[in-house]
Amino acid sequence: MSFARPRLALGLTPKLLVASRSTALRSSLIAHRNISSSRCSHAEITDRPGRLEDPITVKSPPLGAGSLTAKDEPDKDIDPYRDGPGAIDKAVHLFFFTEIIRGMWIVLENFFRPPYTIMYPYEKGPLSPRFRGEHALRRYPSGEERCIACKLCEAICPAQAITIESEARQDGSRKTTKYDIDMTKCIYCGFCQEACPVDAIVETQNQEFSTETREELLYNKEKLLANGDRAEAEIAANLHSDHVYR
Amino acid sequence: MVSLIRYVRNIRRTGIRQWWHQMQYIGDAKAGNHVGTDQFGNRYFENLNPDDELPGRHRWVDFAQHYNNATQVPAEWHSWLSHIRQLPPTEDKVMQNLSPPWKAPWTENLTGTRGAYKPYNTVVPKINAWEPKVASRGEANP
Repeated sequence: MSFARPRLALGLTPKLLVASRSTALRSSLIAHRNISSSRCSHAEITDRPGRLEDPITVKSPPLGAGSLTAKDEPDKDIDPYRDGPGAIDKAVHLFFFTEIIRGMWIVLENFFRPPYTIMYPYEKGPLSPRFRGEHALRRYPSGEERCIACKLCEAICPAQAITIESEARQDGSRKTTKYDIDMTKCIYCGFCQEACPVDAIVETQNQEFSTETREELLYNKEKLLANGDRAEAEIAANLHSDHVYR
Repeated sequence: MVSLIRYVRNIRRTGIRQWWHQMQYIGDAKAGNHVGTDQFGNRYFENLNPDDELPGRHRWVDFAQHYNNATQVPAEWHSWLSHIRQLPPTEDKVMQNLSPPWKAPWTENLTGTRGAYKPYNTVVPKINAWEPKVASRGEANP
C-alpha cells in the first residue's frame, strides 16, 4: 500500500514515511491532496483586515525618476517555485514512472472492490410504496368495481389523457362504460389517484409495461381492471402501509 | 482484495454448479438465504450480511425461465424485490390478508407475442354508417 496517494509535492523522502502504514497518516495525506485544503503559496492574502475598505495605494514614482522598477518595491517579487518540488524530484518522478504506477494502483484497488452495480432484473433498486407507475382500476373486496364515474380524474388530468363515459346500470348504480387512458399522453403525476374519492384509479408499482407498438399503450377499461385484478394484493398493501399519512 | 475473497467464499458456499448457473444469468457469485419460491418457480434469495453483499444488492431473484425479464416476477414478490415490503409475501400478514379471492393470475408483459393487449372500444360507436331502408310503397301491380 505504499503507493497509495503519496505526497507528491515533497519528493522522495516522505514516501518512505508513508510506508509506515499509519492510517492516520494516510488520511492526513489524502486530506492534503484536496483542492479545498491545499494552499496556494503565491495567492493574495485575503484575510487582511480592511482589505476591501482600504485599497492598496498605488505608489507612483516621483517626478523625474523614470518608470517604476522592481527595485523600487522590494519584498514584492513572487517566486512560484519556492515551495514546490525541485528539479531532481521531478526528474525522479519522470524516470521511475511514479505517476503512471500510482494510476495503475488505483485501477488495481478498484478492480478488487465489491461491485456496486445493481444487476437488473435480478436485483432492483428500492421503490417507494407511493411510486407512480402503470395505472389500474381497483375493485371492492366483494368484487364490485369501485369507479363511480364521477370524472374527477378526467377533470384534473393535466395531460387530458383520461376519457370517461358512463351509464346507469340496471340496479341504478352509475358505472363507467368507457374508461380510457392514453398512456402515451400520461405524465404520471398521480393527480388522478389523489382526486379519486373511492381509491378506484391508482398507479401501481409496475414500471415494466413497455410495449412494441404504440397502440398497446391506449388502455381501455378492461385492461385497467385486469391490471388491478392481478396486482390487488400489492396495491392494497401499499395503501395500507401509507394510510396513516393520508 | 475484498471482492476476490468474497467471490471465492460464495463459490464455496453455493457449489460449482450453482456458481456456473449464476454466472450465466446474474453474472456474480452470490450466496444467501432462500427466502421463497413463487408460483412460476422463480427463487428469491436474501443476504443481509454487509460483508457479503452491498446494501441494495442484498435481495435477488433466480428466474425459472432462460429468457427472463423483470415482469415474470409476480406483484407480491415484486414489492419484496423492490424493497417496498420488508417481509416476503409468504410471511407478510398484511399482504396475505389483503389478497382478495378474485385475484387474477399474474401474466408477464406479453408485448410482441400473440397474447399482447389490443385496444378496443368498450362502448357502442357514436357515429354509424347510413343504412338505407326502403319504405314499402304498397302493393306493386302485377
